[in-house]
Order: sequence, then C-alpha cells, then structure tokens
Amino acid sequence: MNDDDLTRLLLQHASRHPAGDGLRAKVRTQLTLQAASQEALPVRPRWRQRLALLTRIHPGIAGVGGLAAGVALTLLAVFIGPRLAPDGPLPDELVAAHVRALQVGPLYEVASSDRHTVKPWFQGRLDYAPTVLDTPALREQGFTLLGGRVQAVQGRPTAVLAYQLRLHKIDLYQWPAERGSAPERLQRRGFHLVRWSDGATQFWTVSDVDGAELERFAAAWRAAAAAH
Amino acid sequence: MTDARRFEATVLPLLDAAHNLARWLLRDAAAAEDAVQEAALRAFRYFGSLRAGEDAKPWFLGIVRNACFTALARERGRADVTLLDEDGWEKLEARSPNPGPDPLAALGARREQVLVDAALRALTPPMREVIVLRELEGLDYRDIALVAGIPIGTVMSRLSRARAQLKRQLSLAGLP
Repeated sequence: MNDDDLTRLLLQHASRHPAGDGLRAKVRTQLTLQAASQEALPVRPRWRQRLALLTRIHPGIAGVGGLAAGVALTLLAVFIGPRLAPDGPLPDELVAAHVRALQVGPLYEVASSDRHTVKPWFQGRLDYAPTVLDTPALREQGFTLLGGRVQAVQGRPTAVLAYQLRLHKIDLYQWPAERGSAPERLQRRGFHLVRWSDGATQFWTVSDVDGAELERFAAAWRAAAAAH
Repeated sequence: MTDARRFEATVLPLLDAAHNLARWLLRDAAAAEDAVQEAALRAFRYFGSLRAGEDAKPWFLGIVRNACFTALARERGRADVTLLDEDGWEKLEARSPNPGPDPLAALGARREQVLVDAALRALTPPMREVIVLRELEGLDYRDIALVAGIPIGTVMSRLSRARAQLKRQLSLAGLP
C-alpha cells in the first residue's frame, strides 16, 4: 500500500463528523449571549472626556480647572509621592500569586520540556503572544522551563512561565507595555522580584531564590530573548 | 458589520471541520460538542487577535485542538496538567487502551469503514491530529504546523509515522 492508496482509503471510508444542527444552535445562542453581555458593560468615561465635558459647559473652567489641578498635583507629588511605593500594590500581588500557585497550584497548566508546546497553549487564552523561551543557554545555567499558566494580575489574564532552578521555582510574568526599563530588584516578604521591560513587554520575575540568583536568571533570560 | 456578525460569518462555516477534528480527537460525541462550544466562545473573546487577512481556519482549529487536548488531559484525571508531549501521550495511552470499534456502529456500517475508523482510533492523539487535518480536512503542512503548534519538520515526521502505522494495520486487516 502506498501513500496515495492510504489517502484514498481514508477519504472513502473514514467516518466524517459534521457539526449537527443542535451544536450550531448552541454555539449561536452562546455567541448571542456573550455579545449581549459585552455590550451591556457600562463604559466609564475617561478623565480626559470628563474634562472635555466640563470645558464644554463653561470655557472658563478649562483655565481655572487646569491651574487648580496643577497646584493640587504639585502638592500631591511633594507631600505624598515619596511615601508611595513606585509600583503600588503590584509586587505584593505578584508575590501572593506566586505563593498561591506554589501552595494550591497549578504551578503550570501546560507541562512541557518543549517551548513549542507551551507557546501554542497560550493561543486563544490571551490577547497577546507571550515570549516563551527554553534555550540550551538557559538550561546550561540551570534554568529549566516547567510549563506555563494563565493567572489574573490586576484583574487581567496574564501569561506566566514557570522555571525551575535546583529545587526552587521561578515565575516569570509578562504583559504588553510601552516603556522600556532596566532590570531592578525588589524584595517583599522574603521573596525577591526583578522587573524589566524591553519596550514592548513588561516582565516581572518572582522567586524564593536569593536576589543575586534571580538577577542571574533575569540576565540569562534577557540574553536568550535577545538571541531569539 | 458588528464584531459579532463578522465573527459569525468567519467562524460558523468552520464548525463542520472543528467538530470533525474534536470528535476524532476525543472519540466521544458529548465531549466533542463541549470542546467546540468552548473553543467558539474562546475564539469570540479573542477574535481581535486574528489579524486582518489572516486565514481563520488554522487559527480556529488551533483553538479547538487546544480545548480538546485540555479535555483529554482532564478525562485522564490530570485536571491541572495538560500533557502535550508525544511521549506523555504514549504513556497515557498504554494505561488506557483504545476502546476499539463501537459495536453498535459496526452493525450498520460497512466493513471498510469499521476497519479504517478502528485504525484511526488506534493512533495516539498527536498522530491522529495530523492525519485528520491532512487527509480529512486537506490542510497543508504549514497550516497543520500552525494548528498543532509544532514545526513543519515535526508535522512531516509525525505524518509519516502515522501513515506507516495505518498502512501496517490496514494491510493486516486485508485492505484495500
């Protein structure tokens, strides 16, 4: 039997399973419901639009409002700014997410030794394409890709890659960002975090390995990404 | 045209291919319908990620196959881990052998159909996936690579191993 004989056999005799009318109806109904629920979401006007609305009521307000807002912002920046952490509650949230994944799991929803199986898994689960790296250089330095998962960060579904270094787990969070920034190390509740951005994507990595090791991971990952 | 209308026009014509793939991967009618519904909802949510001019078929079938492989892993009691590696599948298959031809379906069906279906069912899901996409859905290697998320070289080697196994089994059964 050659390949053509096999193709002919399969085409002639294999069962086909077209979608039934019931399935079509179910899909249509669900889509309609989904579309309706999306339209029903109230859209909050952004502050620019609100300001524009205000100035439309009285053009004078624009100047006065601008001045008042400027003064208020300056006061805020001088008195309150230094007391606020520059990243707000985000590092705490990432540490909590990391701990939750370690304790109750799943640390990864797709397990793989191969980035080709991790990357497509994210397809359809996120509205951006995360960078998935599992290179020989990373492995030589002891960082093994365990898998990936999607977890809510600041209320948005976020791609997380889980790596292993000896017995430690390292989580790498990534999402689209606009500004680049050099790596910076933080510490929260005994966990270390390193964050950086390549101008298109914001990366945060969290682990209980020591800070220098986590910086080594960030450096290795950035080098692998640059060579990718 | 609203997004919902555009989505219906794009994705609803692909439901036959989606259901055929899901049914062949999951080997169960109810599970296949669930997977297609889940995939359709997910595709709708992320319709924006389909670029203008991009072929919707491999994009949507990729989402369908992901839903199927997640369901397969869940069915095998690994709710938290989706094993997608071929080695992993072979180990799982060894633990839960292929159920063989459905006796009720076999009653009315022709002998060839029973034999061909049984041979297809005996493939591991990753091999069945490439065969169904290539031979039944007529996708080219590039699109199969997109759907399954594997390099084209892997598509070709997997297809050739799947074909070899099918030929062996069908010849033993006395076909064609």
